[in-house]
Amino acid sequence: MKALLEFFSRYNHWILFVVLEGLSLMMLFQFNHYHASVWATTANVVVGKVDEWEQEALKFITLSQANQQLTRRNAVLEYNLNEMSRRLTELTHDSSYTELKQRERIEGLTLVPAKVVTNSVMKRDNFMTINKGEADGIRPEMGVVCGTGVVGIIYMTSAHYSIVLPLLNSKSRISCRLRGSNYFGYLRWDGRHPLYVLLDDIPRHAHFKVGDIVETSGFSSVFPPGLFVGKVGKIEDSEDGLSFQLCVQLGVDMATLQDVNVVTQEFQPEVKELEQKLDSIQQQ
Amino acid sequence: MITTFLQRLLWLAILVALQLVVFNHIHLFGYATPLVFVYFVTLFPLGTSHWNILLWAFACGMLADITTLTPGVGAAAMTLTALVQPPLLEAMRPKDAPEDMRATFHTLGFWHYVYYCGLLVTVFTLAYFLLQFFNFFHLEDMAISWASSLMLTWLVCILLEHVRGGKKEE
Repeated sequence: MKALLEFFSRYNHWILFVVLEGLSLMMLFQFNHYHASVWATTANVVVGKVDEWEQEALKFITLSQANQQLTRRNAVLEYNLNEMSRRLTELTHDSSYTELKQRERIEGLTLVPAKVVTNSVMKRDNFMTINKGEADGIRPEMGVVCGTGVVGIIYMTSAHYSIVLPLLNSKSRISCRLRGSNYFGYLRWDGRHPLYVLLDDIPRHAHFKVGDIVETSGFSSVFPPGLFVGKVGKIEDSEDGLSFQLCVQLGVDMATLQDVNVVTQEFQPEVKELEQKLDSIQQQ
Repeated sequence: MITTFLQRLLWLAILVALQLVVFNHIHLFGYATPLVFVYFVTLFPLGTSHWNILLWAFACGMLADITTLTPGVGAAAMTLTALVQPPLLEAMRPKDAPEDMRATFHTLGFWHYVYYCGLLVTVFTLAYFLLQFFNFFHLEDMAISWASSLMLTWLVCILLEHVRGGKKEE
């Protein structure tokens, strides 16, 4: 204690110096808009960079696991593609039909690859930051996918970073359907398990079973139809008993997500404009 | 002690008033502005406690900031200069100088005083312009503003000391 007091009495002017400089800088950032904005921008860039480096390091450490996952997924897709191509050829006797359909689906879509900088799965409302922004053509309400399924929707953008509203957020609502049957409903997260979400509003007369594939319905300008979301894990009655509520096992493990693609659709602004016009007419 | 306090208060008021009324309106070639209130830091004699100088310098910087509408810039730069002043004066002190020596042409000698004043002005103006520009995108502009203001401030401080010393001798 004595040594501490001696230290303070000897170096009191250093402490005072730090306090006065702190006060000066506080005034500088508080009352000068230019300094405040430069400071905020620099701080954001620095935090973004540090997060990016951290993710780079983590990604490098878990690279082998990601590779294994990609290889496995690639093998499954390769098998499915060959199988479907073979079946289609048997049915139509025309192998170019598959390529034609595939091209039709991809046309008008551009995928912008991005890295996940920050992510969370443990909160009720999770958000994710990616390292691509307006400078790369990213805009709010664009879809985000990865190799194993749908991830979420772009929520906010800055010049070089964007915030994604993932499926694991209570505000997330994505229109999905059951592959083959075309019955659709809205996907939402109840905040419990990061691997399971709920698909509401599936009519009681719909025929499906556990293990059926859930995909995007395409009833919005965000995602094209047919993107894999997950598989039906459990079937339950809805609270009012009028429809089914499906527990969907997600294809994406958000906790280990590193690489994503942002889906930019050529005609999205046009569709959005139309929807806004409709809204304004309805309000009148 | 009260006399010293009042003297310092008077110097502070004079320098800030000079800065507000006269020197804030000088922008030679659009770059050089004399920041004369830094002269206030050169006035503290040897043996003055560090915290005393720091507080006076901070107050002077803050008052000057209010006149230039850039709160924080002058206060931060003056506080930094006040931290440098005591060890600098101690280092330049002649061997036979009294314990409470004040830096003047007479006590330090003309050239030593010019160095002493120049170093303090350099520290002050560098901190001031770094904080005012607050980025390195206009490095050339900043360097020109800093160098020209440094020279002008230095010159004005030496002139002030000359006037002050002359009046005292009379």
